[in-house]
Amino acid sequence: MTVRIPDAHGGCAQHRTDSLLRLGLNPDKWDVLVALAGNPNVGKSTVFNALTGLRQHTGNWPGKTITRAEGAFAHDGKRVKIVDLPGTYSLQAGSTDEEVARDFILFGRPDVTVVVVDATRLERNLNLALQILDITDRVVVYLNLVDEARRHGIAVDAARLEKELGVPVVSGVARTGTGVDELLAAAFRVATGATRTRPYRVAQLPAAVEDTVGELTREIDATFPSVPNARWVALRLLNADDAVVEVVRSGELGQLGDGPADGETPEPPPEPAERARVLQTARRLRWELPADFHDTLTERIYTAAQRIADGAQMRGLKRAGFDLDRTLDRLLTSRWLGFPCMLAILAAVFWITIEGANVPSGMLAALLIDTVHPWLKGLADAAGSPWWLSGFLFDGVYLATAWVVAVMLPPMAIFFPLFTLLEDFGYLPRVAFNLDALFRSAGAHGKQALTMCMGFGCNAAGVVSTRVIDSPRERLIAILTNNFSLCNGRWPTQILIATIFIGALAPAHLSGLVSAAAVIAIALLGIVTMFAASWFLSRTMLRGEATSFSLELPPYRPPRVLQTLYTSLIDRTVIVLWRAVVFAVPAGAVIWLVSNVHLGDASLAAHAVASLDPIGLLIGLNGVILLAYVVAIPANEIVIPTVLMLTVLTVDLASAGAGSGAGVMFELESIAATGELLRAGGWTLLTAVNLMLFSLLHNPCSTTLYTIYRETRSAGWTTLAAALPLVIGITVCFLVTQVWRLVATA
Amino acid sequence: MVDPALALLTFAGLSVVLAALLWPGRGLLPRWLRMAQLGERVRLEDALKHVFMCRQAGQACSVDSVAGRLGLSPARATALLSSLTRMGLIRMASDGPALTAMGARSAVSLVRTHRLWERYLADRTGVPPSEWHEQAERMEHALSPEQTDALEMRLGHPTWDPHGDPIPDASGELPPAPGVGLAEIDPGRSVEIVHLEDEPRETYDALLEDGLVLGGRLEVVAREDAGIRVRAGGREWTLDLVASRNVSVRPLPRGERAAGASMTLDAARIGERVRVLEISRACQGPERRRLLDLGLVRGTEITARFASAAGDPVAYTIRGALIALRRRQASRIAVEPVTGLPAEASS
Repeated sequence: MTVRIPDAHGGCAQHRTDSLLRLGLNPDKWDVLVALAGNPNVGKSTVFNALTGLRQHTGNWPGKTITRAEGAFAHDGKRVKIVDLPGTYSLQAGSTDEEVARDFILFGRPDVTVVVVDATRLERNLNLALQILDITDRVVVYLNLVDEARRHGIAVDAARLEKELGVPVVSGVARTGTGVDELLAAAFRVATGATRTRPYRVAQLPAAVEDTVGELTREIDATFPSVPNARWVALRLLNADDAVVEVVRSGELGQLGDGPADGETPEPPPEPAERARVLQTARRLRWELPADFHDTLTERIYTAAQRIADGAQMRGLKRAGFDLDRTLDRLLTSRWLGFPCMLAILAAVFWITIEGANVPSGMLAALLIDTVHPWLKGLADAAGSPWWLSGFLFDGVYLATAWVVAVMLPPMAIFFPLFTLLEDFGYLPRVAFNLDALFRSAGAHGKQALTMCMGFGCNAAGVVSTRVIDSPRERLIAILTNNFSLCNGRWPTQILIATIFIGALAPAHLSGLVSAAAVIAIALLGIVTMFAASWFLSRTMLRGEATSFSLELPPYRPPRVLQTLYTSLIDRTVIVLWRAVVFAVPAGAVIWLVSNVHLGDASLAAHAVASLDPIGLLIGLNGVILLAYVVAIPANEIVIPTVLMLTVLTVDLASAGAGSGAGVMFELESIAATGELLRAGGWTLLTAVNLMLFSLLHNPCSTTLYTIYRETRSAGWTTLAAALPLVIGITVCFLVTQVWRLVATA
Repeated sequence: MVDPALALLTFAGLSVVLAALLWPGRGLLPRWLRMAQLGERVRLEDALKHVFMCRQAGQACSVDSVAGRLGLSPARATALLSSLTRMGLIRMASDGPALTAMGARSAVSLVRTHRLWERYLADRTGVPPSEWHEQAERMEHALSPEQTDALEMRLGHPTWDPHGDPIPDASGELPPAPGVGLAEIDPGRSVEIVHLEDEPRETYDALLEDGLVLGGRLEVVAREDAGIRVRAGGREWTLDLVASRNVSVRPLPRGERAAGASMTLDAARIGERVRVLEISRACQGPERRRLLDLGLVRGTEITARFASAAGDPVAYTIRGALIALRRRQASRIAVEPVTGLPAEASS
């Protein structure tokens, strides 16, 4: 097979290089550029992984790839660059995703575009495929999920489809790698020009519109004779597509085709006056278009898609065994069993997480904090380093990091894979389906149920997971209220304080139950607050945001356990942990510094605690807790260790042998000892209740805030995400405290 | 320690003060901001636009009509008009104030910003239709020409505003508003609504209440003394004369009738198979686009599959995919039952 290097595109090579640089790609680094397009949830990412061997996270959900993913591999001695475009239903450039995908195919001019098509939803998928065939000739269709289609009694005739579409069609199952080699070979043949394609172009339009479109098409044809699909250009001009208007104005349109055959000189672009005339005609004709022009276009493509799909597929074949999907759906979404099933499954996930995380958490703490930390300190002493250096590095930076890792890693490493398994199986969209009515009444999207659950694992991961909500307003609501899910970093605080102060109120044999009930009550309060805040936001600040609800229920698929474990560890756990560590390092440094830098006769921490005390007491907390929350913004995990350290520091119990020194975070072996220390610091039952409330209702940790900023790209929304829970928390604590005191004095 | 009763009282007092200051729409701060915007320039621009609109509609325009429109005394209105004359934007013709060429350009530019902003609200936001006009009234004075150009680009150079008025392009070209008044239609004809006047707001709200939307279809049943009797969506009612003057329509070719759809998708029973007739014109912007992209176009056959545990939303098989739609969305999709065909195999 001879491979023609893309350079042979004749005179337009320079244009292409320019466009690619504009799209953020450096064209020197590969020989063949492949774009991967398709509907959401058709296994595009799986194909990407199969081709590159790179483990991009995939899930059984619509809408995973939001930003463009890129990968590279070698094939047949050529360097291949593959770009995974966002999954979209259409290319009409109505949303950012669609714009990204369309611009890449049009201006990036990939050597070949692989369109991944779901064999079980052929019609819907052909809608996108036909739109891509309108833009480019260099297309290969990968008919994915043929096994699933067979299970649903659908057989697709790939040869017939190939004949209809006029481009190579390869069928297979990306999950098992079936057909991937054939796909690559076919893609290479199209990229090199060895296969000449004759793509199907949707033609007919209603008569009234046809006259208008035809007039403009003829004019474009006359002005730009080299344009392969003048009709598509005409339609885009009539839609006032700025990107297309611009290439007509600049004359670049003539260069966007596949170029002249080898050896011919490219045609010069038409005169500016002619180009302006085309645009002038388009402007005039736009007034003649009916209001439902866009509807007509979509209808026209679907009519063609339906005809092609009907010809290529056979439905209603005999099924293997009973209809599992239907039976499962009947059970999992039933009026009586739907909610109990859901609660049971979610409860099991949480129980496994909390129970399962205990032991490894303890082991990690023993290793990192009780063993490695003294060892590091000893090492530093032996090396003769000054006390402040080893203090700063090991008591401050190291200890904070170790604490975050020990508390955060085990629950995340259990919770995320479990969640991902449910996702892979297809159950999570059914949860969204069942709970949508509840969320709708608060102005939110049913999928917020899932991002909320994710938030119980980690708020930062919860915020990232809101990407599955494709309606702008509902997604913002989900982002801004995710913090009301009590995350893993806060569960230990809740459990510890509840055990010491609330469990102690009950008789000994009931105390465990009572403290557990208190923690669950706090988590439920978080859910109630989440609904209230969603309701409030959707009626005030987010009232004017656009909304477009849709929820696709994918077929159930047997989860791939090993791959899920691997990808969810890499994707969610490690990335979130890394971000947390990055933020914990400076926090550890600050905690150590404020405790050890002295101003006058007291440390900075003591000064801060003294000045925060009046405010703290007003809302039923104290200066130590407030300072701990200020310095522990990066991670909720280190709040309790910091509180204990600061308590010892300010109450001057250090002489009594408690604690490990200024700026050294610690926890006590026994819960009773912790309780005594806190009571010595002036804590009462009221302080404990308020701490539990404040731990739920305060600003998100800095990892989450940073993630919110990255997802919304808006300082305003990020500020609101921080201010909203903080204001609620301070208000709630204040009211509880003052009413409590009023009742107590009365 | 602070006395708890005192603390709570202070808190209550503070809450009241903050609410009075910040309450959306009625608080002191929002009011003050609105007042600050209503400067002299705004009044001048409003007067200019009024003259333009009157001339466009072929109605009489006078000091009194300016005063009435802007809620000013005749003396203030006279002063405004003479300011505009001094600025070279209007001239006094025999039949009242008229625009100069420069005045016409300024007025068209205001109209363009106003209609683009309405389009923006309709397409890209969830602001309810009854608020479009008022928000656009404010924005037309706030946006610079560059911002307006950028907005137009972002919206994809729309040609019509959501009430059916043409949006002038940057060159100021403005085709006449389409359609004829509903009162001019002979009984028995079916029509398509091409324009709904958004002023005054009460009338517009009443039209929305009646379910009238741009692109919607009506059948004129009879002309009565009280108004015009119309039929749509299986319902018959009388539009009073004031309301019917605010509706412009395009008669459908004889023989083509207003869609007699009396069934919407939300009425489909579980297991029932229906065919899509149209998506209501009231469903616009991203929501409409999404429904179309999912394959809900005219002629698509869909089957109601099962309801969620809470009863809403309901999952439908749409072109092979299982898609959940909320009841409110389904109620905007007109369908007809499909009979005589076996239900498609579930997938």
